Amino acid sequence: MDFEIPEELKMVQSMVREFVTDQLKPLERVVLGRAADLSDAQMYLPLEKERELMGMVKDMGLWGVSIPEELGGVGLSTLGNCLVEEELAQTVVPFDFGDVTPILFDCNQRQQETYFMPVLNRQKYPYLALMEPEKEASEIEKLEVKAEKANGGYVLNGKKVSLSRAAEDYFAVVFATTNLEKPLREGVSCFLVDKGAPGFSVSGGGGKTGWQARVRQAISLIFDHCQVPVGNMLGEEGKAFYLARKWLPLRRIIRGARCIGAGQRVLDECTIQAKTWTSFGQMISGRPSIQAALADIATNIHAARLMVYEAAWKADQGELIRREAAMVKLFATQMLHSVADNAAHIFNAPAYVGGLPMERFCRNAIATSATNFALQLQRNIIARDILKGLKV
Amino acid sequence: MPLREQRDVKEIEGVLNRILSTASPPVARCRLLSSGFGESYALNVEQDIRGHKECLGCGNCIDACPFLFREPSRRDKTEQRTSMALETIVGADCDECDACVLACPQVDTTIKNYVVNHRMIEVMSKLEQRIGDEDEPDLDLLVEEALS
Repeated sequence: MDFEIPEELKMVQSMVREFVTDQLKPLERVVLGRAADLSDAQMYLPLEKERELMGMVKDMGLWGVSIPEELGGVGLSTLGNCLVEEELAQTVVPFDFGDVTPILFDCNQRQQETYFMPVLNRQKYPYLALMEPEKEASEIEKLEVKAEKANGGYVLNGKKVSLSRAAEDYFAVVFATTNLEKPLREGVSCFLVDKGAPGFSVSGGGGKTGWQARVRQAISLIFDHCQVPVGNMLGEEGKAFYLARKWLPLRRIIRGARCIGAGQRVLDECTIQAKTWTSFGQMISGRPSIQAALADIATNIHAARLMVYEAAWKADQGELIRREAAMVKLFATQMLHSVADNAAHIFNAPAYVGGLPMERFCRNAIATSATNFALQLQRNIIARDILKGLKV
Repeated sequence: MPLREQRDVKEIEGVLNRILSTASPPVARCRLLSSGFGESYALNVEQDIRGHKECLGCGNCIDACPFLFREPSRRDKTEQRTSMALETIVGADCDECDACVLACPQVDTTIKNYVVNHRMIEVMSKLEQRIGDEDEPDLDLLVEEALS
């Protein structure tokens, strides 16, 4: 058993840590807003700044850390990705090292050139259109958007909602029912629909500042007899739900690493608060209840970190990590909520003062753990794995 | 505590299979097919109850039910711990695992042997189906990707 992080990954970790400290953390005020009423808060960094940062990361040789080498990325191991994400999550500035949804890893050669590479280089942005309006996340099996074969291609009809980042140049990644007679999980296909395709229109999303910048705006996608060529189908027909099967479970572990990063930053902020704040003539760090809260936060983060690293290591060994990934998501999400609760104890109130990184971190932590349905699904996955042992 | 002369399953195999294949806790009906109290019961009653087939209300079947384990709130519907209470609160949601039959002290051992030797293997495959298929895509992963 070796708990040592490999040297080359330690080097990557230290490079990313420096980048976050020197380049990203000073930009927090740009995102959170400088005005008294935070009316200049933004959801994303200005485009020019993002391009500048992207150039720096490319120079570091770390652009596309999570992308396989054969697709033009760095192809870092899962553990390496976790270390990078952990560092990046320690700031509220939304910036990644060339992250692309693994659903696009299944692009064929032509699609790679037309869609994947522009996404990696931030020339185009994908609108992931899986969810439908007025439907719960649990109802995605009942997709109403249909794709019917016609004129040597497919005709899409229906409405979708996407939470992807709004951009000037985009294309939609649409999940639509192609065969109503087959079981739902074999009757849904995925299509890449270009911006400006006849019958495809988009509204909403983007351009929000001030308090609205805290909430991601949904983009509405409308398909009205939208003709899509056969070549724009991603993967096999009817197998959309099987796209990126190899990669998506790893994302669950990497999201766990993001929770650790956020938790670590909250702990750092709490430590500063405890060391600098006084009440009744005494530093609050001397009070046992504050020390207990700090200890609980640190213990929680440590436990989650060990879980994430172990799951990532297992994934890198080629082992099945379905159960571990679900455990990571379940624990890390709840851990972050508990950390935010304890932080409120140290700050003597919920971190409600708008415009501070702490407020954004705690708000995100509570929002993440509010998805009880997703957590229940993780419990089901874990239980399913345990119950397999009861086979006769 | 059933009689020494227990029910021969061959006589009741047809109806027993029908009972066990119905989506409802089968314990009460299996109890009625059994031989009833034997001679060595320890209940403090003056009446001779040999051969009687009433539910004791021991609650073993309620404790053994995996459905009630998953949904404990259903137990709050009644304080009774009889097989009738089990049938009422579980009803058609029964997993058909037959655990209640095996837990009941009033069901004949011959019937329990039949359940274990002839029914459990079928039941396990049915339960496996309910638990889920490993090859099934995890749609939640796609939802996470769409929401993150």
